[in-house]
Amino acid sequence: MKKFLSLLLAMCLVMGLCACQASTDPGPVSTPTDDKQTTTDNTTPAADPDAGNVTQPTDTTQAKVLRMAESFAYASLDVHKDYYGWYTSIYGVSETLFKVADNLSIQPLLAKEYSVSDDGKTWTFRLADAKFSNGNALTADMVVKNFQRLAEVNERFAYLGDFTFAADGDKTLTITTPEIYPTMLSDLTAPETGIMDLDATTDPDNAPVCTGPFTVKSFEPEGTVEVVKNASYWNGDVKLDGAIFYYMQDDDTKLNAMQAGDIDGYTSVTAAAKQIYSMDADRYTLTEIPATRLQFYVLNKSRLDDKVCEAINLTIDNKAMAEFLGGTVSAAVGPFASTAPYGKVSKPAPDTAKAKALLEEAGYTAGADGMYQKNGKPLSVNIGYYEARSLDTIAVLMQEQLKNIGVDAVLTAEEDPDATYIATGDYDIALYCMIADKSGDPYYCIDALFRKDSKWALAGFPSDETEKLIDELRYETDVNKRADLANQIVQRSIDENAFGYVGLFNKTTVMTKGVSGISENCPFDFYGVNAETDIK
Amino acid sequence: MGKYIGKRLLHLLWIMLAVSFLTFLLMYLTPGDAAMKKLYAQGVAVSDEVLENTRENMGLNRSFAVQYGDWLLHALRFDLGSSFKDGFPVSEKLLKGMKNTAILTLSALALALAVSLPLAFFTAVKKNSLPDYIVRFFSFVGNSMPNFLISVLLMYYLCVKARLLPVVAENSLRGLLLPCLALSIPLCCRFIRQFRAEILEQLGKPYVSGAVLRGVKKRYVLASVLHNASISILTIVGLSVGTLLGGSVVIETIFRWPGLGKLAMDAISSRDYPVIQGFVLLSSTIYVLINLLTDISYRLIDPRLDKKEEESSC
Repeated sequence: MKKFLSLLLAMCLVMGLCACQASTDPGPVSTPTDDKQTTTDNTTPAADPDAGNVTQPTDTTQAKVLRMAESFAYASLDVHKDYYGWYTSIYGVSETLFKVADNLSIQPLLAKEYSVSDDGKTWTFRLADAKFSNGNALTADMVVKNFQRLAEVNERFAYLGDFTFAADGDKTLTITTPEIYPTMLSDLTAPETGIMDLDATTDPDNAPVCTGPFTVKSFEPEGTVEVVKNASYWNGDVKLDGAIFYYMQDDDTKLNAMQAGDIDGYTSVTAAAKQIYSMDADRYTLTEIPATRLQFYVLNKSRLDDKVCEAINLTIDNKAMAEFLGGTVSAAVGPFASTAPYGKVSKPAPDTAKAKALLEEAGYTAGADGMYQKNGKPLSVNIGYYEARSLDTIAVLMQEQLKNIGVDAVLTAEEDPDATYIATGDYDIALYCMIADKSGDPYYCIDALFRKDSKWALAGFPSDETEKLIDELRYETDVNKRADLANQIVQRSIDENAFGYVGLFNKTTVMTKGVSGISENCPFDFYGVNAETDIK
Repeated sequence: MGKYIGKRLLHLLWIMLAVSFLTFLLMYLTPGDAAMKKLYAQGVAVSDEVLENTRENMGLNRSFAVQYGDWLLHALRFDLGSSFKDGFPVSEKLLKGMKNTAILTLSALALALAVSLPLAFFTAVKKNSLPDYIVRFFSFVGNSMPNFLISVLLMYYLCVKARLLPVVAENSLRGLLLPCLALSIPLCCRFIRQFRAEILEQLGKPYVSGAVLRGVKKRYVLASVLHNASISILTIVGLSVGTLLGGSVVIETIFRWPGLGKLAMDAISSRDYPVIQGFVLLSSTIYVLINLLTDISYRLIDPRLDKKEEESSC
């Protein structure tokens, strides 16, 4: 017994020693009395030959360093490759010619003004007096080099290879397109079009030299990224001294890190965590706005009767679903936020009585168990879904709501929807989630969803009239007319009961009190820290 | 012994070939490919043309035989290729993951052994005493709890409540402590039950009663018991090392530990064939080598096994 007790005591001693070591070790961990709004960066920023004129906080004890958790991390910081540019933009390192404002309008950034020729094919941009973090001035020639490189290294931007780029002097850039290209400005807000100083960047994977308010201090592939203030930032003072982005996939880890004071904020807060933060409003600020990621379903009109489709749409109560999902989703009417000019569509309110009447009109009769059938065959629909972005929960809720009016729904889960039910068209209802508003223009989404050659075409919605409207939208340069056309097209998809728009994922951000300006009110995923981000 | 090792290593080659072929085939047959996963990573829709071009650039539009043959030819030259996801060399990714997993696994194993072996011995010797009941109760509870629950509880109580350790700790001793604890607790609980049972079995054998009756000192008796139980203990430990080295995805994700398990899971979800193939080769090699080491240790502990094998081969 004595030996047993001594063993236990020894274990306690070891644990205690470890704990003491932890509390004396310098690092970003907060002490219990720390209010978590600032951290002490005791490390000396490493000299980075590519980083140029970078501010090194002179008094490190006063340094304002923001600590964020990110759910994604990539192996490279090369602005042009894959989706890495999203993260260099979030880290405040790279900037684009234009940016999308919180109200979804497109605003100039590295380009200060533009004009377009009468034929709509030649765009002329006047660049701002921007500088890279190494002090070099942004030139039109460098922008051309960037776009040419982007077309080479990123398949999604290969179409830029069809454009002609020309630099006229240091500050004037001309882009000529083979045909009218109304979405040019929207395309130039894409974070992948961020501009690097390609002459000075020797290691784009680890240390891109860009124009943003921050420069890379340290980068661990698929891990932690640390940035420091760019002292020569061209667009005003940068309030923070730096920021650290920790890669954290697990929601519980983020919650614990936030509660322990190890981080100052993150986005994509879960419903459960949101409740916890809401209960401690003195410590945390929660913001929630409808973002751009759309949850929707497609009704397969090739397999379902029109009246059945309408009945299904009248049954699905997306407001109840949004409520069930704890506020992580805002009920949607169409694919775009209703605040956008191209988000002005309407849909009928749920009406189960009318839905039942429609089923009866379609020849179905309710059995003794309340379930509809025709010629002895039960009305059963198949719902294809995958386990991501709460689609599994939505599938179950849809099943329950349909059952309530007497429609049997069979759920089919797939790991990869694009390679299975969407590719084959083997579904009655297909659930899906995608970014609907990529950068302040409706064409991308409409082109992806409603075209005759889209992956959803097997569901039977596209028609010559819709195609004609989409073609009009493609070449329409007037912003208001574009919005009108987009509204018409989306309204058709609603009126014809081809699509059901369930929800727009909310961008829910939590910050410790005093933190502000981490793009919490911007619906796009690819904006993060900026010159205005601050810790008070 | 040398002949035996050579034979086992020869088997390893066939195992690696078979495992790599089956894995490649399964991945090939699974819906979706690396091009799709890469392009749709952020939920942005892309055109069929972009998808097809990406597939072509990645060599994914070739037949199964050509893709596997190409991979195999490179693998035979010790070139595991580059990751489809980010283009970085597979060998580098595996080495990094392996190093982190080895650190985590071996430290968790050492901790589990350091705690479980004495406790198992103690509880076996003091069978049905109060300490035995207490240890058995906790080992039962610890064994029943899933890894993620232990991890979250440890994080909550040690980091949030007691503030003894940081949630955010990079790959350092402090960063290792929590994942190591989370991994070793269930392991330790399992070991205690298994080791205790084995030691109890040895304690019930006639040689122990005989030694006690002859007045042999207790520590010599217990040393014999430990020696005789060691073959079973080594088997249990060997099997656990193999499993642990495969990685503990949950713990690596929760504690942000960039090990092999997480690397493999990410590779599977992004259909990153080169990384999956590399991981499979590495895992099968580790499993075979651990089993080989365990078998060799049997022979070192009990040389009669060698003799028996020689006699049976005669």
